[in-house]
Amino acid sequence: MLYQKYVKMHIKSSMQYRLNTVFLSFSQAVVAVSELLAVYVLFQTFTTVGTWTFYDSLLMFGVVTTVFSFCECFFRGYDSFAEIVQSGELDRLFIRPVNIHYQILGAKMEFSKLGKFFVGVVVSIIAVCKLSITWSIWKVLVLLGMFVCGVVVILSLMILGAGMSIYTIENLEFINIFTAGSKDLAYYPINIYQKWLSRLFTYVIPVACFNYLPLTYLVGGGTLLPWVYALSPCFGMLIMIPCVLFFNFSLKKYQGTGT
Amino acid sequence: MSYVGIFKMHLKGELQYRGKAISGIVTQVFWGFMRISLFTAFLATSSMQDFSLYQMSSYIWLGQAFLAAFYITVPPEVNKDIVRGDICYKFIRPMDIYNQWYASVLGSKIASTLLRFSPIIILGFCLPNSMGLMLPVSFEAFLLFCVSMCIGVCLCSAVILIAIYLSIKTLMPKGASAIVMSVTSLLSGALIPLPLMPASVQTVLNFLPFRYMSDLPYRIYIGNFTIAESCMQIGIAFVWLVALIVIGKLLMKSSLKKVVVQGG
Repeated sequence: MLYQKYVKMHIKSSMQYRLNTVFLSFSQAVVAVSELLAVYVLFQTFTTVGTWTFYDSLLMFGVVTTVFSFCECFFRGYDSFAEIVQSGELDRLFIRPVNIHYQILGAKMEFSKLGKFFVGVVVSIIAVCKLSITWSIWKVLVLLGMFVCGVVVILSLMILGAGMSIYTIENLEFINIFTAGSKDLAYYPINIYQKWLSRLFTYVIPVACFNYLPLTYLVGGGTLLPWVYALSPCFGMLIMIPCVLFFNFSLKKYQGTGT
Repeated sequence: MSYVGIFKMHLKGELQYRGKAISGIVTQVFWGFMRISLFTAFLATSSMQDFSLYQMSSYIWLGQAFLAAFYITVPPEVNKDIVRGDICYKFIRPMDIYNQWYASVLGSKIASTLLRFSPIIILGFCLPNSMGLMLPVSFEAFLLFCVSMCIGVCLCSAVILIAIYLSIKTLMPKGASAIVMSVTSLLSGALIPLPLMPASVQTVLNFLPFRYMSDLPYRIYIGNFTIAESCMQIGIAFVWLVALIVIGKLLMKSSLKKVVVQGG
């Protein structure tokens, strides 16, 4: 498989600078931990927000940190697509007889993000143990669905940003509103935010689908039918379709940059 | 003065990138709304005595407006100097290397702040009370706010110089500045405003230099301190500034004695 070769190549190249990779992973873990401490400190002062407690928020933090760092590690090619466009590298991708998405996926991987990933996984496990959930097979599936949906949504946003950078060429900071914004927002159950904000991140960008909607199913409660909450991760994944379509459409419009 | 020249050069360089600034402002405004919305939710659960909703939103808008002033990052050109070995050229010049870097960091900080702060401040004033920016509590408070802002920016630059020292030591600027940045933003109240932290944590943070960067000026502005208290705190901030510059200079001197030049 070509993808396996890509992965092997990236692992080998980052192992050439082993100390560098280890130190960068460590620094990424420090970044994640200090953001975790911020959440912790806030709950030390207030104990609850709306109907949610610290451990609810902790699970949200764990999920979003895990999926975001996973995407930053393996889908870095989309995340830094602007560089590929700027340097004119994209022209070269076109002439190779391999699907372009395949090449972008393999173009770049950043294993130092695994430091953050590790923190995310540990935090999720702690949160799941501390939350009083009566487990059933469905709940386990929904929990796994949260992670899958999170990866798909963040990947879709990265593809959307990559598509935009074909027009803007430069990587404009406001694209971060969707990616990094979703991340920062999703440290907490997002129905605590003001209406317009939580609606934007439920219906337009389906962050809620790997956030408070499935969480409501896990801990019980909520005003809607339980299956709506349970299936929400599946709904969220639909965002992939318009994002990929937009990206492919933009590629067709691409006229070339650089030399 | 040559240091003034370096300072001016970086000031002009930053002012060139207007498109980037506009995109940055849009992002910062969005983040402002997001953070205000978050802390409003917490304050709605249980309100605080000495930190009203209006004070909180003012604190956030000041933070967004002056984000560039207190953002901790090793400037890309210094990164390049360290990784590529251009640091040699800095040695050739008959200037102190600490002062050279300090001037360039401070210059780009002031320029990018000047370019970005006013639209956000104006927007803040236009918003309704529960989510907007208040006027300074008094004229004296405003003057003290300005003084402490100046000291704060200098203090922040001194912290960046220590991050540069760590980059030289480790030769891994990306990792070193990521660590300094995340630790500083937690301890300075950039992630969570200090008044929203438990009292015990605040006591500890009072003994560290970080909160004298951005937290102090903002809280003088929103009227958390009396004039006398503010003056005393500004004094502490000034002492920290001197201390950090001295520490930074000593560290830099010791590290540059045996610097390993990368590349050639």
